[in-house]
Amino acid sequence: MIENARSINIAAGLILAIGMIYIIGPLYLTLSTASQSFEDMLRNGLAWYPGDQLLVNMGKIFTETRIPIQMFNSLIVASSNAFATCVLSLLSAYAIVYFRIRWAGVIFALILATIMLPLDIRVITTYQVASNIFSPLNAVLDVTGLNLLIASAFGAPVHLELSVLNTHFGLVAPLVAHGTGTFLFRQFFLTLPKDLFKAARMDGAGPIRFLFDILLPLSRASFAALFVLTFLSGWTQYLWPLVGASTPDMQTAVVGLARLVPDADGQVPDFPMIMAGAVLVSLVPLSMIALLQRYLVQGLVLSEK
Amino acid sequence: MRSDSSLFSNRWLPILLVTPLMLLIVLFFYVPVFQAFYWSFFLEQPFGGSSEFVGLDNFRRVLSDPEFWKAGARTIVFMLSASSLAVALPLILAIAADRKIRLSLPARNVLVWPKGVAGASIGVVFAFIFNPFVGLMAPLNQMFPGIWAPGIDGTDAFLTLVMAHVWSGIPFNFVILLAGLRSIPHTMYQAAAMDGAGPWRRILDVQLPLIMPQLFLTLVLEFTESITSAFALIDTITGGGPGGSTTLLVYKIYVDGFRGYDLSGASTQTAILMVFVLALAACQFAFIGRRINYER
Amino acid sequence: MTAIDSAIRAAAAQIELIGVTKAYDAKTVVIPPMDVVLRPGEFTVILGPSGCGKSTLLQMIAGLERVSGGKIILGGREVQDLEPKHRGCAMVFQNYALYPHMTVAENMAYSLKVAGVSKPDRALRVATVAKMLGLADYLERKPGQLSGGQRQRVAIGRAIIREPGVLLFDEPLSNLDAQLRHDMRIELADLHRRIGATSVFVTHDQVEAMTLADRILILNKGRVEQFDTPKVIYHHPASVFVAKFIGAPPMNILDVTGDGTALRLADGQAVARSTRTGRFQLGIRPEDVAAGPGGPITATIRYREDLGSHEIIEADLCGQQLRIATPFGAEIDASSTLSLSFPTVRLHLFDGETGMAIADAFEEPQAVRQSVKVHL
Repeated sequence: MIENARSINIAAGLILAIGMIYIIGPLYLTLSTASQSFEDMLRNGLAWYPGDQLLVNMGKIFTETRIPIQMFNSLIVASSNAFATCVLSLLSAYAIVYFRIRWAGVIFALILATIMLPLDIRVITTYQVASNIFSPLNAVLDVTGLNLLIASAFGAPVHLELSVLNTHFGLVAPLVAHGTGTFLFRQFFLTLPKDLFKAARMDGAGPIRFLFDILLPLSRASFAALFVLTFLSGWTQYLWPLVGASTPDMQTAVVGLARLVPDADGQVPDFPMIMAGAVLVSLVPLSMIALLQRYLVQGLVLSEK
Repeated sequence: MRSDSSLFSNRWLPILLVTPLMLLIVLFFYVPVFQAFYWSFFLEQPFGGSSEFVGLDNFRRVLSDPEFWKAGARTIVFMLSASSLAVALPLILAIAADRKIRLSLPARNVLVWPKGVAGASIGVVFAFIFNPFVGLMAPLNQMFPGIWAPGIDGTDAFLTLVMAHVWSGIPFNFVILLAGLRSIPHTMYQAAAMDGAGPWRRILDVQLPLIMPQLFLTLVLEFTESITSAFALIDTITGGGPGGSTTLLVYKIYVDGFRGYDLSGASTQTAILMVFVLALAACQFAFIGRRINYER
Repeated sequence: MTAIDSAIRAAAAQIELIGVTKAYDAKTVVIPPMDVVLRPGEFTVILGPSGCGKSTLLQMIAGLERVSGGKIILGGREVQDLEPKHRGCAMVFQNYALYPHMTVAENMAYSLKVAGVSKPDRALRVATVAKMLGLADYLERKPGQLSGGQRQRVAIGRAIIREPGVLLFDEPLSNLDAQLRHDMRIELADLHRRIGATSVFVTHDQVEAMTLADRILILNKGRVEQFDTPKVIYHHPASVFVAKFIGAPPMNILDVTGDGTALRLADGQAVARSTRTGRFQLGIRPEDVAAGPGGPITATIRYREDLGSHEIIEADLCGQQLRIATPFGAEIDASSTLSLSFPTVRLHLFDGETGMAIADAFEEPQAVRQSVKVHL
């Protein structure tokens, strides 16, 4: 179009520049502080230029803190969250879209409802369930009176106990209990032409073959998008890992990083080391974003529709 | 769907397929949600033991606690200020990035980075950057002592929280809004230009009305997000202080439940918060959602 | 016939539909009970307007839709409860429905792979079919890299590679442009001659139906209006619906009343001699109307379209619309009114109530076309 858009383009450029400074500024200050020595920071305050102590500070993280093993925990939590979410969501969306089942709508509504109430809101009672995942079963046995029956027959009521707190499973499972993935795959399946399904049926493909030969290869991009999204979400979780794991060796890196800051007010903590920790902890997800940006953006857009 | 007889008709396979996810969802979503409501009618002992039905006593206790009302009020203030900023800022950025200018490509890249930085991590960073003694404001503080004191002044602490929250919220809202802008057909701009609307005018008359669905969606999600995700920021930046001035409800529930071992009180507040979140979403869908569905 | 031709040759199966019906609930009956036999090796075109149930019928034969009642017998086997893969049918879809992530070769071989055919055998069959369809150079391409016509060929290849006894086509040509559609029509006819499978072809395009079909099955609201060869359907339409559906421009249908001596329009003009009494619908094709001085019928010209080879004249005949196609090269000099005559052998008479054709409506036997002279 022929038009004079100079003023608006200059304004837009300015806005974008400010936005980028807002985003990059804190990240840059993190990096520049992480490369100072503690003494320099105390003397000069905020460091505007990078120093030469980055490796020293990172070394401190490796030798003086549990961040390395906690990063390993984060990796396990994030990747199993991503993998489990992708697989389980794909399977349930597959069942909902491609099978003639009367309860498909109900199941989908039940799954979708999880989006409304995030884990952080229901953390208290989720913690209680995780401390004994058989507690609902026990309660059902008690309420229905089955336990009275069992108690009179065998002498004692059934009371099972299994805590998943302080386990990787316990850290991951409540994160997987979420509907976004199912929603995303369902939306994707509905965009596929119906004739594709019919053609596969004519070619003789049953449910399993159709899933592996047709649906999975076609879902690759959605799979990748969801994987990146849930990996990042698993890595950056805070409240659940904080309460779900009580020993430092089971905690995730983000929790460990927050624990580096001493609770006591007054003295200035070793910020350069903490910032080096922040750099390390954010390295994995940030490089993932850099490499797989396309999938992340796609995932964000898809999860909304 | 009507022509559903062409779907697979296996009986057990679909059940098998949804069972793993449904099991997790029932166990870690529906049971906890149910339990929060259930417990709000019982007095629970913190270390197990018997519980006692107390009717509405828990609600009476919670609702007569001024701290609860203060935390609730702060939650709403935070929700309104932080989430409107966290939508408005990405909206402006998205409109700018939608123009074909040199900066728009790098901006689209950079603006999603915060998605990779945990709330707690950026909380730690912001706590440092806005540290009154060594941070960004330290020089200013030396000139005017006490002008920036998030450790003492609740407003300063609250501002830091809002800034950190907006920082974290940019990627999602930016991406959604930009996608909405980019789905506006180009002919729409050409038509508006033929009608005499300049580029500034088109923002108001074409772009904003047409991305209302996305705007509405980001706002709905942002409300829930600001209620819950604030936890990591509060815990790492202010610890709820100073003097409880940044204790939002989600943080108070955590403190009551995990530090005070008041399970009944925490469950009751959880139940109230859930009802609030659901009611909020329902209202938004009922009142705003209806008006902004366009046929394209 | 070459060796390659004979390599893909199906054992054509007879298709019998016995009381086949489809209903979603008591109110929405898509197809009332239907009895039809499609002979082995026959090319049947199911023709009808959209929503007449023709695709549903095809999908029931394929096994993609369940029948609500009745039996489907393919090659002597009762199949209505079998899965698609056990019926021995193959299908060509409207939008090709090729697997976008597979190459042309993989697309065509997929059904063989599912059926457990060994890899070398698959390759051999793919090569044969590809050569037959002129796809040999494209075997390693993905569907996204092919033109519309090529994709259509792959879709056909995928269907015939199994040498199915029954080949089903669901409006396969509707996505192609006019030229390509014409070429593919010729190719399909040729292919059918060579493969010999019983073919069922669903379309709403009467040209496809007329040129491809051994017999045309015309569906209207799920009911069979007529099932016969293209010639019979054109010359002896069984109902007003068929008469209007076949032929372009469509047959003129006039409301007439018989008074024992003639069939008359509302203003009393006699358009044909007949001893019948009562209300009828009289049909005459536009190209059968004889226009020229001396004709007993008078019509008013509304407008004329000159198509070069001939003219289409739209006229008003006592308040009813009448289209006239002039013969090749004929010049009609009239400006506002037109004298016409309706050759009796060219007239079709339908019941005024039911719209069904009345056989031997006029005393003179129906003559063959060549004997008709055009009066000018």
